[in-house]
Order: sequence, then structure tokens, then C-alpha cells
Amino acid sequence: MVNFQFNSGDIVKFRLAREEIEARVLESPDNSVVLVKLNSGYNIGIPKENILDCVIVEKFKEESKKEIIPISKNKPSIGLIVTGGTIASKLDPKTGSAKPLTDVSEFAKFYPRLFEKVNVKKLSIPFMILSENMSSEHWITIAEHAKEMLNDSEIQGVIITHGSDTLHYTSSALSFFLRDLKKPVVLTFSQRSIDRASSDAEMNLDCAVTMALSNCAEVMIVGHATENDDYCFALRGTKVRKMHTSKRNTFKAINCSPIAKVWPDKIEFLEKYNARSEGLTKLDASFNEKVALLKFYPGQDSSILDYYLVQGYKGIIIEMSGLGHVAVGEVKYSWESALKRAIKQGLIVCAVPQTIYGRLNSKVYSSGRALEEIGVIFLEDMLPETAFVKLSWVLGHKNWKNLVREKMLENIVGEFNPLLNE
Amino acid sequence: MHDYNKLGFKAGLEIHQQLDTPKLFSGAPSFLRNDEPHYKIERRLHVVAGETGKIDEAVKHEATLGKTFVYEGYRDSISLVELDEEPPHKINQEALDVALTVALLLNCEIYPVTQVMRKTVIDGSNTSGFQRTALIARNGFVETSLGKVRIATICIEEDSARVILREKEKVVYRLDRLGIPLVEIATYPDLQNAEQVKECALKLGEILRACHVKRGLGTIRQDVNISISGHDRVEIKGFQDPKMMIETIDKEINRQLIDIKNNKKNGEVRNALPSGESEFLRPMPGASRMYPETDLNLLRIGLDKINQLKKNLPKLKTDIRDELRKKGLTDELIGLVLESHELLDEFELLLQIYPLDSPLVAKMVTLWRNEFATKRSKTFEEIKSILSERVYEQILEEVALNKINSKDVKFVLTKILDGEKLADALKIEKISDDEIEELVRKIIREKPGMRTNAYMGVLMTQFKGKLDANKAMEIINRVLNIK
Repeated sequence: MVNFQFNSGDIVKFRLAREEIEARVLESPDNSVVLVKLNSGYNIGIPKENILDCVIVEKFKEESKKEIIPISKNKPSIGLIVTGGTIASKLDPKTGSAKPLTDVSEFAKFYPRLFEKVNVKKLSIPFMILSENMSSEHWITIAEHAKEMLNDSEIQGVIITHGSDTLHYTSSALSFFLRDLKKPVVLTFSQRSIDRASSDAEMNLDCAVTMALSNCAEVMIVGHATENDDYCFALRGTKVRKMHTSKRNTFKAINCSPIAKVWPDKIEFLEKYNARSEGLTKLDASFNEKVALLKFYPGQDSSILDYYLVQGYKGIIIEMSGLGHVAVGEVKYSWESALKRAIKQGLIVCAVPQTIYGRLNSKVYSSGRALEEIGVIFLEDMLPETAFVKLSWVLGHKNWKNLVREKMLENIVGEFNPLLNE
Repeated sequence: MHDYNKLGFKAGLEIHQQLDTPKLFSGAPSFLRNDEPHYKIERRLHVVAGETGKIDEAVKHEATLGKTFVYEGYRDSISLVELDEEPPHKINQEALDVALTVALLLNCEIYPVTQVMRKTVIDGSNTSGFQRTALIARNGFVETSLGKVRIATICIEEDSARVILREKEKVVYRLDRLGIPLVEIATYPDLQNAEQVKECALKLGEILRACHVKRGLGTIRQDVNISISGHDRVEIKGFQDPKMMIETIDKEINRQLIDIKNNKKNGEVRNALPSGESEFLRPMPGASRMYPETDLNLLRIGLDKINQLKKNLPKLKTDIRDELRKKGLTDELIGLVLESHELLDEFELLLQIYPLDSPLVAKMVTLWRNEFATKRSKTFEEIKSILSERVYEQILEEVALNKINSKDVKFVLTKILDGEKLADALKIEKISDDEIEELVRKIIREKPGMRTNAYMGVLMTQFKGKLDANKAMEIINRVLNIK
């Protein structure tokens, strides 16, 4: 038996039936294969069964060079919150896969331009996770860090780097959590990993800085506006959605226009916004986790509602078809009685458009009218994800118990757009 | 002429050949276009430290900060992968098979497990900022008149986008070429002189052309690595024409000699010019610009796959020529059959139906169509559309079943060209040799003492052209001799 005692990073000499290979061992995704980097730079795999013998030639030495973040008093200050995702991952030579950046100096190494333009007065890394692994606890933590930075008088704005998958949930959450916002809060991301020269991270971050220093006191997502590397959009945190699995310009303003076009050195505002002002931002991060988001489909069994009731859910957002419909009346899969029962037992049921674009209208068809009569709250043009976050937030406020419908229909942070102008 | 031996001349070849398959990591169609592009996008690239934190010398040189790259695309043939807007799809199996076939023809060992790598390239010719490449085989050889030249490595990789316009601040690329599969063959520096470099390049070209590769200008690119004693390796890129190799190599030796005189010896990458000179392109790239393509699994190449490919290895033209000669084809017919892949394929297919007479099949496919075309003032293609592969198949099936005589085939073809339906043309009254012989004897008995040709005339009139003249003559001679 061959003794595979080496670790990834070691240089090892392998004896095979017809030759010897000396190469650096990498972490292999497959246990039956030793992955190595040849001198040419190419990686190849050696099936373990082909290895007759192996000797470690050189043990791996971790290089320890600390880079210190450049601080300059003459530049405007920002706060930076790093939470993980592609924008804060780098390739790990040992494993050959993407790993999160671990500290500030590493971040500074990858984004030298950010540190040239501004003074990163506060930088926090509360956690490093992919955005699909986040939950409301993470949103609350980010909001706490952001609030602290926003209330530092020297800091002009806050930038949050974040995985893109669920970024629009986080932007909605921060929009509701950060009350009396006086400064810009900018979330940004990347769709192309930062190891490649074509990464979108650099321009996104560059434009995020422009926006963070601007006069616009809103929660925004900043990212590529088009497939070109020319400018970004600043998109309202409650009216934005990831609309493409892989393209740079994945985030789109839905049912409204972007707040602004942003370049690394200028801004062209397209919409009205809250201007920067003096004062403290408050945190209101009450959150009820017993809220669900459900998508209606033809033939769906309405007894799913009973499940949510039994599990103690307090609210549910249903993505309805068309102008706001589910099957009702004398049909095989009618939702009417199940909805009546659920609402009677206190479940808050809200309707949002599964078309994503456009506004609900309960008056056009009889099924819409029936649902309204039962007590479904029609959330106009609100995005499903925003509605989910908002209902959780509203239901988190015990003192709003009798105000849920009112609060859900109140335009608190631009989650409704009466004009639907795009 | 240099004394290559004395100079310590060492050269190796690196050949890049486009494969005639869909694109390597998107499956998009792989053809070049000259119609107006449907859209343009603008991008920028930035320098990134490699896996080890080092910035590669070649990459540093290419670092063209601030330069804008414009990419031209087509809605119906460019995918999001070429636009760097989508992760790569699984490697195209067809392309991998062709590359593995090349490796096997070059007697290489194939890696059972390999990894697709990203090779950093930031001159804008790759939208991603890197070229995807995988090492698939090593340790092969190719025969030349001066002995075996060892093959070091075989890689499969993506072709780059092609330059349409180069300006100071901006380069315009077209995405049609980006992602077309390439096989890269690198030899060891076993080549001993310029003549052998050329011979080896031609030999490799022949082997490649036996596989499913693209043909024509720009589909094959040859680089030569050259060094003499006291000088580092220099890579000269972009030979389109092997004819220029000898001159370019000799000029490079002169350049390296001057370098050495001036205490310089650095290796670099140079660009071959049509004049035989070359110009500096960039420093030699190092290993630090390679890192794994994290969006793909390890690439496994199983023994089953290799065995299956080994069974179906294509033949080289020189081998085909020998085989055809053995089958009894004249050099003229061999030349005609080898004129195109299509004709060769047709010949081989038809030969399976009637293997007994390869010259007949070869003539049907090539020579006779030519003759008919000339006689009837039509093009070869027009004749081929009437005397098609399908028609030939049916005729040869009849021949194989002995329903018509192979000697009557040309006559059948004439009748088809005259407008007869295939079924009618195939109705040749079968006259047995015995019947003919009987008739010959009868004629000779009735009119004794005539010359052979006169008997022939009588015989042909009686059979109204249904008789094969050669056969008739043979029988007449036989009967007359017996007498």
C-alpha cells in the first residue's frame, strides 16, 4: 500500500509504472485522484491506483506577508461591510477553488482603486457567506453594522459587498430596518469572479464609491447597467430584482426607473431621491420569521395553507397569476374555502404579481373580487421578495397588530410606485 | 546556410489547428462571418495577480489599462459564453474526441484525469481575460526522414477573438472565432535543422487533415521555438505558410547571434512577418498565469473512450494511397479518388456493396463522370446529380447479385443519362456466353473465311449493342483458334 501522507501545497515525487512526476499537490475534489500542478502550470489528475510510490520533496510553507491598509486623512471616508459572495472571494492556490477573502489587507490588495479613492474608516466583516445561506439574522447584523457606521459623523456613506443571489432581499430588509436614513447605503456585488481580468467587481465597486459619496440618502444596489463596462445603475432597494442567472446587468429596476446612472466619476440622476441630511439613523429591525412566500400554479392543492397554519405561520405572500388571481368558485382546485378558513384563523394573506411587472387589480375579474372579499390584501406593484420582507417586518411590530393592512399598503420606502413609470 | 550542429541549434514546433466542431465550451456554431455584426459591446480588462499572487511577466506586458475593447457579435451564432456573460458549458465531446484522435495518431499517452485551466490573456482577445485550455496527452512521436521527433504535449483549447481594427485607445474584436476548439501540438526541441522543422510541420499537417479539422487560410497556426547555444528559447508565432519557415529560422539564428554578441540572451515571443523577419511581441509567459477553471469538473478520459477511438482512427493520405494501390487502382485513379473527402467517402461506401472490382467503382465515381461531363457539355456536378451515389448503389447491388454484368455498367449509365429510368436502364437482356458462342459458330459456319473484325460487325448488328464488344471479340478469337 502506498502511503499518501502528503498535504496539499507540498511538492511530491510520484512514481508511476512508466515515469516519475514531481509536482505540487492541490486539494482534489475527488478522493480517488491526486490533483497536481505541473511545472508548465497545467493541472492534471493522477488516479491513486496508478501511484506505485510517493515521496515528499518539499513541505508547503504558508507565506506570511501582511499588507496594511493605506489610510489617508485627505480623502473622504466611507464605511465598508464585507459579507462574502463572489465579490469577496479569491482563488485558493491550495484547493484551486474560490475561497472568501479573509481580512482587510487582502481586500485592499484586490481592490487597490477603492483605497486610492477613499479612506475606509471602518471596515467590518461580520461573516463571510454566500448570499443563499443568509437569513433574517444576517440582515439584522448587517443593519446593525451599517447603523453604527452611518452615525459616525466622518463617514459619508456605507458600502456593503454581498453575494448577488439574494441581494435584493437584503436591500429590501435594510430599506425597512434603517429608519431616518441620512446618508447613502450602497450594496454591490459581482457576477464574474475577481480572479479574472474581466471581472465586473472593479467597476461595480468604483461606481458604488461614487454613489456612497453622493447626495442620495437611499438604500441602493449599484451594478452594471448593461453588458458594457461603461456605467452602472443605482437601483432602489425595494424595487430591484435579480433577473438573470449570470449576466453582469442582472439587477433590474422593476416597475420604476433606476435612481441614477453612475460612472466612476459622475452621476446622472433619473429619479427623485431623499437628499443627504444631518441627524442620526435609527435601527428598527423587528422581524417575524413566521412569514412565507408562495407561488400559485394551476392545479395547486390549497391544503398547503393548512400546513402553514399548523406550523404557526402568521403571514403569507402569494404570488398570484395575472392581475391577482388564484382558482376560486366551483372548480376542482378552488382556493376559496381554504383561504377563508386561514384568514378567519388570523393568517395575513397578501397578493403580489407573479408576472413581476405591472400592478394587481382586483376589480377586473370576479375571482379578484372574490379574493378581496375574503380579505386578501392586494399589494399593487410590490415585488414578491420586498413584500415578503415587509410583511415579516410589519408583523415583527407587536404594536402594529391592528394596523397590518394599513402598514402593508403604506408607501414607506418607495416599495410602491403609483405611476409605474419605467 | 548555417552549420546547425555547430551552433547547438534546437527547435521545437507548436501547432494550433482549429477543429471542425461546435465551440468548445458553448456548443455554439463555429464559423467566421463577414456580414454586418448585429451588436457591439464594450469592455475593459484589469491586471489581476495570479494564483500565487504573482503577476506574470507576459501579462504585465499586455496590461493595457485604460484600453477599450469592442466586441462584435451576432444574435444567431454567438452565445453568452463568448460574451463572458455565462459560465462555460460542459466541454464539447465531439471536439474532445477529435483532439484525442490526433493524440492517438501521434502515439501519445492520454491523461486519465485532467483539469481545464484558465490561462490569463489580457490583450482583449478573450472576453473573460483568459483562455481555457486543458492538457490531454504527452510523450508521443512523429516520424521524419531524420528520425523520430518526440511530441511533448497535446492540449485542447479555445481560439481567441479575431482583431478587426486596432487603434491606439481601442481594439475591435469579432467574437465569431472566440471559442472555436483548437488542438495544440508541441514537440520537444528535437528538430535539428530548418529543413526538418518544415518537414515535421508538413507531416503534422497531414496527420491533422486526416481528422475532423477545419481547412483553409487561418485554420492552422504554426509557432516555432528556436534556440542556439548561449541563447534562451525564442518563440516565433504565426507561420501561415511552411514555405517561409526555413528563411525565418535562418534569420532568427542571425538575430540570436547578434544578441549573444551584445551580451543578451533573453527568450521572448516574436511574430513572424511575411518577409521572413520577425518582430517582438511580448516576454515569454510563465506558469503563474495558469489557474484552474473553477466552473468545470475534473475532466476524465476513460479507457473505454480511448479504445473506442482507437478502433476508428482515420487513415492518413499516404496510407490510403498504398491501400488503394493494393486494391488495383492505377495512380491516375488514386489521384482522382483522393481529390476530395466526399469522393473518397463515396468510393469507400460503394466498394462495400461491390468489393470485387475496385477500379470499376473508382471509374464510376470519378473518371466516367468526368468523361460524361465533357462529352455532354455539362459540369461534373450536373452529371453527379443524375448519376448520384444512390443510383450507383442500386446499380452495384444488381452487379453484386449477378443480375447485370460489370462490363455493362457504363452502358447502363449512358442510358440513364439519355433519360431512361433506372429500372428500365437496368433491363439489359442477359445473353449467356454459351448463347454467344453458339451464334458465333453459326455465323462462321454460314460465312467461313472472313476476318475477325467482319465477324464482329455481324455479331454486333445481331445483338444491337446489347453485347459487350470485348467479350464478343474474346469469344470470336477463341472459336477461331479452336478451329
